[in-house]
Order: sequence, then structure tokens, then C-alpha cells
Amino acid sequence: MNIVHLIFWSALTIALYHAGKLVNRRFHAWWSSPLMIAPILLIIVVLAFRVPYKEYISSTHWMLAMLAPATVAFAIPIYEQRELIKKHWLILMGGVLVGSVTAMLSSWFLANMFGLSDQLRISLLPRSLSTPFALIVSGELGGIPGLTAVFVIITGLFGATIGELLLKSLPLQSTIAKGSLFGMGAHAVGTAKAHQIDSEVGAISGLTMVLVGAVNVLAAPLVEVLLR
Amino acid sequence: MFRTGSIVLRRHCRTNMLTQIGIIMLFWLIGTAAAKATGISVPGSIIGLFLVVALLVTKQISVHSVRLGAKWFLGEMLLFFVPAVPVVLDHPELFGTLGLKIVAVILLSTAIVMAVTALFVDMVYRYLARRQG
Repeated sequence: MNIVHLIFWSALTIALYHAGKLVNRRFHAWWSSPLMIAPILLIIVVLAFRVPYKEYISSTHWMLAMLAPATVAFAIPIYEQRELIKKHWLILMGGVLVGSVTAMLSSWFLANMFGLSDQLRISLLPRSLSTPFALIVSGELGGIPGLTAVFVIITGLFGATIGELLLKSLPLQSTIAKGSLFGMGAHAVGTAKAHQIDSEVGAISGLTMVLVGAVNVLAAPLVEVLLR
Repeated sequence: MFRTGSIVLRRHCRTNMLTQIGIIMLFWLIGTAAAKATGISVPGSIIGLFLVVALLVTKQISVHSVRLGAKWFLGEMLLFFVPAVPVVLDHPELFGTLGLKIVAVILLSTAIVMAVTALFVDMVYRYLARRQG
């Protein structure tokens, strides 16, 4: 790895991300998310320079690695909303189980309906989990972790938007239902959106996301048996 | 002298974002080491998360010495996803109908999961509230 490449690609990625954030502050639309604008511009630049992805990622892998310590940071909102969580932990856990089963079944049947290959189908299964969990599960089940990472991002991006629409159209009364919706469907990206809506919704979403990841990693060996 | 030192250190921890980012990364490293040592397939970051919650609840650490760092991590989290996206360049098969099919599966499945989960949780919540009240 070359130090000039490292600085150039890292600086470019960070600059495009901040450009995306500025655009988002002005427009507040789903297409203006920094997770939409930055990657598209980045792909254009990477293509223009004729750089293979392998070379790009070797310079910017440290940013992906930051997702792991970022996960630890969810401890703080969880701690701050501990009373709310203590009161409703059983319902939250029930939501995680119902949501996880729905996620697996709906991905599987929809992928079947659209005639996707086995390997793609398996790579799609863990996409509503947060990235570190999704990669573990995808690898264990025989999917392609690299693709799963992209599916996770698409899920987060669209999920955060769909979630906002669902929140307006579903007759939800409780904060915990709103938080479960984002944490179950759109992991960290949904949780970021949830924090914008309300700090209680955000904390519930963060906890749900962590629980979903934990439950699915534990259930992966069972799913593996079912897939055979 | 030790006491003044510790007060200065504590004040530094409460106001410096970089130090707090460092503290959070330290707990991630501890979690990763614990995962490796025990050989369980739970990510080290999750072990770190539960460790921090446990230490906060038992008042071993103060929430003020991690709050700023956590705010930074959660606020800038989307950046860390960005470098993963250009991987699609290695999979030309995803452009075209197959890509559209995949996006359709993701959209539909995510909407179903969100609606089912939220409606289930809300239904149970309302049932319990009615029974108690």
C-alpha cells in the first residue's frame, strides 16, 4: 500500500461525504443522503482513474474498520434510555424475533419469486443486520460477504426512507414500535434517521439493531441446517 | 499532587472529544481481544458495547467521559459505509435486470419487515397497556 494513495483516496472519500452532507442539509430528500451522493460520485472518480476496487479499498479500508468501534458507541444512547428499555424489554425482544423470522422468510420467498441464484439469495438473507453481524452470517451460510455489505447499505438507505413513510401511514402509538421499525428494518442507517426524529425512538432503534444482530448470529447455525 | 493530576485528567476526559473517541476505541479493542480469547462468534464490538453499558450502569465510568465521543461516532457513521459501495464495480452482473430484481427484493422485503415488526410491537404494547389500565 502506497502512502500517497492512502491520503488521496481517504481525503477524496471524506470530501465527497462532506459534500453529500452539505447537499443533504439543503434538500432533505432521500436522494440527497450522503450515502447516496458520495458513493455515486466516488464510483465515477474510481472509474475515471481506472483504479480497480481492490486498490481503492486497500487505501480506505480503515474507514470500514471504524464501523466496529462506532457500534460500541451505541452503548451511550442505550444507557441513557435504560428506564424505557427496562420497562419494555420483553416486547422489544418479541419484536426482534417476529421481525427476524419475517426478514428471513420474505427475503427467501421474494428472491425465489424473482428467480435469483442460491448464492445471491443467501447473500441477501442477512442484509437487515448491521454490517459486522451481516458479514459473519453471510460467510457462515456460504454467501458472498462483499456483496452482502452492499445489500446492507442499500437496505439501510432505502429502509430509512421507507421507514419514514411507514411512520406516517401506519397507526403506531408507541415510541417502542417506532424504534423497533427502524432498528429491525434498517440497522445503523435507520437508527441515524430515528435519532433525528426523537432521542427515545433512536435509543430503541439502536438497541433493537444490536439485539437483531446478536439473535441472528446465534441463529445462523440453525438456518444453515434448514438451508440444506 | 496525585489528586490534582487525577482531577485534571478527569476534566480533560469530559471535554476532549478525541480522548473520548480513544476511550471508545479502547473498549472495542478489549471486546475484540475477549472475543478472540473465548472463541465465540459474536463481534468484539458488541462485547465492547455491553461492557460499556455494564460499566455505566455500575457507575464505574461516567457517561460524561464518553458522551462526546459517542456523539461523533454516531453522527459520522454514514461515512464509514461509503468505501464499501464501489465493490459493485467488481460485479458487473449487478447492473441491468439482475440489479433491478435485487433492489426490488430488498425494497419489498424491508417494507414488509418494518411494517410487520412495528405493528406487532404496537399491538402487544396496546394489549398490555389496556390490561394494566
